[in-house]
Amino acid sequence: MSPAGAYNPRVLAHFATPAHAGDLSQRYPVESKGEARESASGCRVVLVAGSDGRVFREVRFRVFGCPHLVAAAEEWCRHAQGRCVGAKDARPAVAELMASLEVPVEKTGRILVLEDAWQALLKTIDREPNRAGHDQR
Amino acid sequence: MTLRTDSEDAVYLDHAATTPPDPEVVAAMQSVLGPGGSFANPSSIHVAGRRSRALSEHARAAIARMLNVDPVCIVFTSGATESNNLAIIGAARQRAHSGRHLITMRTEHKAVIDTFAALEREGWPVTWLAPEPDGLLATGTLEAALREDTQLVSVMHVNNETGVVQDIAAIGGLCRSRGILFHCDAAQSAGKLPLDLAELPVDLLSLTAHKFHGPQGVGALYLADRPDVHIAPLMHGGGQERRLRPGTLAMHQVTGFGTAATLARERMHEDLTHYRRLNDRLWRGLSNLPGMHRNGNPATAFPGILNVSADDVEGESLLLALEPLCVASGSACNSQTGESSYVLRAMGRDDRLAQSAIRFSFGRATLIDDIDFAIDRYRRAIGHLRAIAPPAAA
Repeated sequence: MSPAGAYNPRVLAHFATPAHAGDLSQRYPVESKGEARESASGCRVVLVAGSDGRVFREVRFRVFGCPHLVAAAEEWCRHAQGRCVGAKDARPAVAELMASLEVPVEKTGRILVLEDAWQALLKTIDREPNRAGHDQR
Repeated sequence: MTLRTDSEDAVYLDHAATTPPDPEVVAAMQSVLGPGGSFANPSSIHVAGRRSRALSEHARAAIARMLNVDPVCIVFTSGATESNNLAIIGAARQRAHSGRHLITMRTEHKAVIDTFAALEREGWPVTWLAPEPDGLLATGTLEAALREDTQLVSVMHVNNETGVVQDIAAIGGLCRSRGILFHCDAAQSAGKLPLDLAELPVDLLSLTAHKFHGPQGVGALYLADRPDVHIAPLMHGGGQERRLRPGTLAMHQVTGFGTAATLARERMHEDLTHYRRLNDRLWRGLSNLPGMHRNGNPATAFPGILNVSADDVEGESLLLALEPLCVASGSACNSQTGESSYVLRAMGRDDRLAQSAIRFSFGRATLIDDIDFAIDRYRRAIGHLRAIAPPAAA
């Protein structure tokens, strides 16, 4: 199977054009950042979010990882953007995310790095408002 | 060379995995399979069988000429994997009465590693030698590992991932001076590099046709024509191939193999010059990217393979970003193991560099345009992946 044949069309599309990859495009009243990594695969995820204190106005990611993780991060940011800060549905369900992208089950640990990064991001909202990813690179 | 795929033209730079059969090879095989072809069993004594026999011996002679040996030394097999199994297990069993210690390298192909591992599980003591950082085996390392009961040493000629060329003359010489059999997996070098087995101290050598523009599914094991070079068969059922590999010869494959060997012998110098030109151009086009590493010593590597790693790039994503370039990855992230290249790790590369490794390998029909396409694709892919990656220190 060719490399492209190993992924579903959504993974290929997100991998080719990860619209939410990068840094926040502007400053926000509340900016937050979370990062996590998995030692087994070496993958790393950084999530940054800008909000007005109530709604995530912009969510961005940076990923070192496989195409499935890149696509999952893209979906995560798309889902979270526009949702209320603190709302339970601000984050996508990992199982549904994996199913929709047809992520192999052995990659579950990598996808969960997104969850870890998101939790880390949420913790910074109260602790360190107004700091995030403008100056990451 | 360009291949048509479902979606777009693919550029094939994975000739270390397999090569397209040369058109002359295809024609020779078709002549055997077609009307009036030589379908008869070459073991049959009737006229049709004798005709097949003449063809198979013609092919055997062509392979023997390529290696500068007597045709009687060539045993047809299904490929290098079978040849490796036959040589290693056959030699170990044949010589078990006088000792059981075996030696090989950690950077061998899986066809050798797994065969030795199987023997190890059966109780054979195996020493696994590590290479130097440049991939080469130091003869001092081998010498220190030799024991009174060592029966077999197996070291590949050209590494399938890095192109590193081992000094088989020195390794074989050391083994011969101690009365130890030396087996060499030459799957990546036979038909591509000069191999004069009349001169080289090699007792057993594995080769396969499809690595040098012959057909898949056929290979050979060379056994030196000396009284002490005996191996036990793995299969039983007939007297073919010196009773070492029973079964009816596949006439079309053997014929294609012989034709590929003849072409390889005629074109080897030209092919090598071509590979050097392609290799130099590709490395020139990639080496000025930040964080690039060449795996293996270019001074001693086979020019048909270029293996590179890049800092801060994930291997599986790199392979996808390189599409429609057909290359091999040092990452096995699509497999369930998730392991990076064991060859590169044995050479001292860390996991992150090993998993980002890409092997480019060239063939007779590879064009300069293919190399320029590969350079462009690789540079774009690296740029794309680094643009979405977290800072290295994150």
